[in-house]
Amino acid sequence: MTAQRKARRIVVTSGKGGVGKTTTTANLGAALALLGKRVVLVDADIGLRNLDLVLGVEKRIVFDLVEVVEGRCQLRQALVRDKRFGESLAILPAAQTREKTAVSELQFAGVVEQLAESCDYVLVDSPAGIEHGFRNAIAGAAEALVVTTPEVSAIRDADRVIGKLQERGLPMRLIVNRVRPEMVRSGEMMSVDDVCDILSAELVGIIPDDAEVIDTTNRGVPLVLDPSQRLGAIYTKIARRLEGEIIPFTQLGGGGFFDRLLGALRAG
Amino acid sequence: METQRVQAQEPFVASVGPNANAVPVARGRAIVVTSGKGGVGKTTTTANLGVALAARGARVVLIDADVGLRNLDLVLGLESRIRHHLLDVLEEKVTLDDALVRDKRVENLFLLAAAQNREKDDVPTEAMRGLVEKLRAAYDYVLIDSPAGIEMGFKNAIAAAGEAIVVCTPEVAAVRDVDRVVGLLGNDLSAQLIVNRLRPALVRKGKMLSVDDVNAILRLPLLGVIGDEPEVIVATNRGEPPALAANSPTGAAYRAIAARIAGEDVPAPQAAQAEGFLDKLGAFFGGRAK
Ligand SMILES: Nc1ncnc2c1ncn2[C@@H]1O[C@H](COP(=O)(O)OP(=O)(O)OP(=O)(O)O)[C@@H](O)[C@H]1O
Ligand SMILES: Nc1ncnc2c1ncn2[C@@H]1O[C@H](COP(=O)(O)OP(=O)(O)OP(=O)(O)O)[C@@H](O)[C@H]1O
Ligand SMILES: [Mg+2]
Ligand SMILES: [Mg+2]
Repeated sequence: MTAQRKARRIVVTSGKGGVGKTTTTANLGAALALLGKRVVLVDADIGLRNLDLVLGVEKRIVFDLVEVVEGRCQLRQALVRDKRFGESLAILPAAQTREKTAVSELQFAGVVEQLAESCDYVLVDSPAGIEHGFRNAIAGAAEALVVTTPEVSAIRDADRVIGKLQERGLPMRLIVNRVRPEMVRSGEMMSVDDVCDILSAELVGIIPDDAEVIDTTNRGVPLVLDPSQRLGAIYTKIARRLEGEIIPFTQLGGGGFFDRLLGALRAG
Repeated sequence: METQRVQAQEPFVASVGPNANAVPVARGRAIVVTSGKGGVGKTTTTANLGVALAARGARVVLIDADVGLRNLDLVLGLESRIRHHLLDVLEEKVTLDDALVRDKRVENLFLLAAAQNREKDDVPTEAMRGLVEKLRAAYDYVLIDSPAGIEMGFKNAIAAAGEAIVVCTPEVAAVRDVDRVVGLLGNDLSAQLIVNRLRPALVRKGKMLSVDDVNAILRLPLLGVIGDEPEVIVATNRGEPPALAANSPTGAAYRAIAARIAGEDVPAPQAAQAEGFLDKLGAFFGGRAK
């Protein structure tokens, strides 16, 4: 366990449900794999697993995280390789019929630690909320990506989660998902600048709202493998930013919900 | 305002005599809005159905069970009025009267907000049951906004409910999560389905599941279908539920669902019809149903 730790251990989280944690974990993992990194994705959403579906590997699951922790199989036996990426991308699935409390924070951190010894990135897909499943997901991580949408409710939840991450001393960066430029221009949606200002967070990615995401998710095809590459290119940029490259953002004009949100955050 | 609250506290018994409506109820109904999957529209649904039911004259109280990550106050535009919350009441720090916030638009609609700085594990399940029991005596409807997931927050949210509304989006991952939750609801809670964020154009192109596809797996009575409409996002940001807006397709859909919940014989939303209907409305209102 004390051997030199190799991998970056990153949790993808949000507080708010359905903002795109699983979509981000899968596509960012795929993008990193295409850049030549060895990546393991961990599904921390025990009981409500989705990551396997988004990657289209659901039929090849044999063992899961809970069975690893309970010593019923080896860690490597539970890893499901995504063959489209050769040896570069694997997922550790969550159990579907168990409770989140079946795994302790310590056990979860142990699994992540062990995975980190033989790859470049461990990405942990956190469940929604801030209960036990969330605490597990952040337990083994050394950094966090917070996903939010440009909506008041998602931002308030993100603010709460960022507070929890700071308590743990976990550095975090922000991904703003489902941005609709036309709504931002017409003042019906907050701009990415506003979101970053409110959350005082460093931005690492902006992802537009695009029906293509829904379709590829349903079909289990990572966007970087989509021939059009339009959205895939966005995840590749985020992957390169994680690698330390400086790539400018395309910014958009803003709406006027700033004051309301600040009021709401101060109120609670 | 004070008199309103006092009125709402009076025990309520619906008429069960000869003039009773189709479905006579002696007591209010406690309905949990849940899904397993996050972000499918539980809070949006709770707020809009609350508004639509109250606009029909029913007495309605909404409980935000998402302790630590409350949102229902924002969606209703009541965030600046919250002084006390659910846990204050359960821990008997304040009276129910002190904690209930009256809606600013509709009479007879009240919100019991969640605590933002507490944990879901802090909620005493038995006290929550007792509170909902008490509310059912004074209100026609107690709608409980469940958090995502199937942990303690979810368990507390369903504990006191007699019925469930399950919200699902037409996506494979959502259907799997919802299916799991329906299993957990068991036989004690009768569940009905709302399919949210449907895009008929995508369904026709084969790029989105249809309502039939969703319900082939879930097999639940279909309460309604809501289209994916940017106006819902705008409404959330502004704190103005569209359920009251006259020329809003979403508002109309929520009002129809409210009528159905109240026992009115609104034609069942046949999946195919619902799609055609939504699609036409989308075209009519400037092609928003992309
Ligand atoms: N950029 C996008 N454009 C359009 N749809 C998107 C986008 N990102 C995510 N979605 C859709 O939103 C839905 C929710 O995404 P996802 O499952 O990744 O969220 P999540 O945060 O993991 O949810 P949960 O909280 O339930 O774990 C998905 O079905 C996906 O298709
Ligand atoms: N019919 C719709 N059309 C377009 N957007 C929608 C629709 N319904 C909900 N949304 C958007 O999806 C987002 C999530 O909705 P909501 O907060 O109601 O979900 P939830 O299930 O309560 O989420 P959580 O699991 O975090 O509690 C909202 O910001 C809302 O604007
Ligand atoms: Mg997820
Ligand atoms: Mg909610």
